[in-house]
Amino acid sequence: MIKRIVHNVIFLIVAFASCCTYAQTKVFKGYKIEGDMLVFVFDKRDYEQASMASHLFDLEDLNIKNVVVSGEFNNWSKDKWSMIQIDENRYELRKKLSDFTDEFSWEFKFVINNRYWAEPSRRDENAVRAFENGHKLPTYNLKMYLAYPDKSGNVTFKLNGYDTARKVVLSGSFNKWNEDLFTMVRGKDCWTITLNIRPGEYQYKFIIDGEWIADPLNPNKKLNEFNGYNSIINVKAPINFMLNGFFDAEEVILSGTFNDWSENEYKMTRTKKGWVMTLMLSGGKHHYKYIVDNEWILDPNNPVREYDYDGNVNSVCMVK
Amino acid sequence: MKKILYRILFYLICITEVFASINPPGNSFFSTHDEVIFSKAEVLNEYTARIPFKLIDHLIVVEAEVLDKKGDFIIDTGSETLILNEVHFPLKKRFYSKKKRTSGVIAVMDDTFEKNVKDFILQNFNLKNKVSDIVNLSHIEKAKKMHLLGVIGYNILKDYEIFIDMHLNQITLSKVNKHGDLLDKNVYAEKIIDSINFNLKKHTIVINGKVDNEEVRFGLDSAAEFNQINKKVDKKVLKHFYPKRRLVLMGASNDKIEVLAGKLFRVKLSETVYFGPMYTVLTNLNKMNEAFGTNLDGVLGYEFFQQKRTIINYQKEKLYFVKYPILRH
Repeated sequence: MIKRIVHNVIFLIVAFASCCTYAQTKVFKGYKIEGDMLVFVFDKRDYEQASMASHLFDLEDLNIKNVVVSGEFNNWSKDKWSMIQIDENRYELRKKLSDFTDEFSWEFKFVINNRYWAEPSRRDENAVRAFENGHKLPTYNLKMYLAYPDKSGNVTFKLNGYDTARKVVLSGSFNKWNEDLFTMVRGKDCWTITLNIRPGEYQYKFIIDGEWIADPLNPNKKLNEFNGYNSIINVKAPINFMLNGFFDAEEVILSGTFNDWSENEYKMTRTKKGWVMTLMLSGGKHHYKYIVDNEWILDPNNPVREYDYDGNVNSVCMVK
Repeated sequence: MKKILYRILFYLICITEVFASINPPGNSFFSTHDEVIFSKAEVLNEYTARIPFKLIDHLIVVEAEVLDKKGDFIIDTGSETLILNEVHFPLKKRFYSKKKRTSGVIAVMDDTFEKNVKDFILQNFNLKNKVSDIVNLSHIEKAKKMHLLGVIGYNILKDYEIFIDMHLNQITLSKVNKHGDLLDKNVYAEKIIDSINFNLKKHTIVINGKVDNEEVRFGLDSAAEFNQINKKVDKKVLKHFYPKRRLVLMGASNDKIEVLAGKLFRVKLSETVYFGPMYTVLTNLNKMNEAFGTNLDGVLGYEFFQQKRTIINYQKEKLYFVKYPILRH
């Protein structure tokens, strides 16, 4: 019995490890995956600034005594996961992939001398805005990139059948048509993968044991340059519209290209500060205006505006 | 006698060739219906169109259709002409094509052939008799995993005021007269917050900027994926370049070069237009200067446009800047 459990555990670890290995072939800032090991890498030349209690310091000015990995996986501890110095500039910490929970949404950062956060640049490919209790912080964490397997991701791809296939891969414009990165998981009569993808329109195909096919369940297709079809997915994102003030108004309507300028569909909700509404919008540009008691107005808080075909000016919201 | 006949024949062939290269018969390449259509463009009126672009890595790419082929074009202010990708537009008759060098997209290319695109149409904008170069761009296609039909360069862009907007991911093209005045009075609904002058040297936008207090001649190239600074530039300038790692770059001519990448600090284009540290590579620009047709100390590319929503007016030799919105969530 115990032997069987051990076997199962080993199987799960191996499955998870292999899943992680093929789920990432590119080197991102802060970590790399080598076989079944996750290697955190800190190179002091990759960072310019460090912060402590909202104060910024030049990293060069710090006398580095130790570096610690801190993240969601260790409750952002500043002293538990000490790194080992490899050379003058580099520090490493090797962890077994199986030490982590089965998800790919870790955010982390490096801590210098148990006090200073090494600040990633917001331009780093895998940098994401840091949040605390739902509030945005003026700083960035490191994370996986644009589209990555994430069980709590926003899009699940599913391919029914193909029980006898050995390997099914999801390939698309979100991963530059990579033929290995997103291997799908075999389920009951189907193959699935859940990804976290930024809003926008993407093209994709499935590769079944080397053979490319469009998604049979998705009618939205586009002819490609090889005279075949690519499937198309439009990933939407929640966008908050806020109009401050106008406390005396009876009704405020949000109207735009997203609802064909309907004058009654989206009634905004009154709050202490003004009026709000959240819409799921697809990636790209949307023109909109507010109708305050039958009077059309531009969004006073949004400087981005454009002329439309008739020469009217609209507010413009960009989803990306 | 036979010899004379041969000579006459040879002479006639040569004459034909000369005529052909001066005035190439566009029809043999393109029918009168040939046109480039930006399928996703918003054409506001006869003068102005907004074309959405996508970023493939750091390249600005628009979707267009030409000769029943649909694919991507790179917007490249550093390129002299329209370049068509030989992979998709094979040369049918090479005998009257004249050999020349074309330039742009990171490096100099040899042995290109000139094509006369009779009608290069941007919806109802008819761009007649634009000379294009045919170059094999398959290596860019492969590296970027894109269906690259070609590159849109200076000879197409110069008739318009061009707003390259990295916030709305679109390019606005608006017709100008020979003085650079807009023919459409309602092009921008947003405020222009600043401007700088540039010099147009051949096809290249040259900005006289400063790094710290040293004068530096920058070229502005929308297809430069990285900013570049010349190795040969004054040491006082290089003092503000902090190298970080080595990178391998690929040029349009498919040669690979290893460069030193890092950050360039204190770049200033005027008293009010300045930049934070910019990701920059240290290269030998001497070969590049041939491509640009002028001597440059550096090239500003993707990161410039990412930091500044920029309007280019070639006739007035001016850049205008539109405010970046503060993003709310």
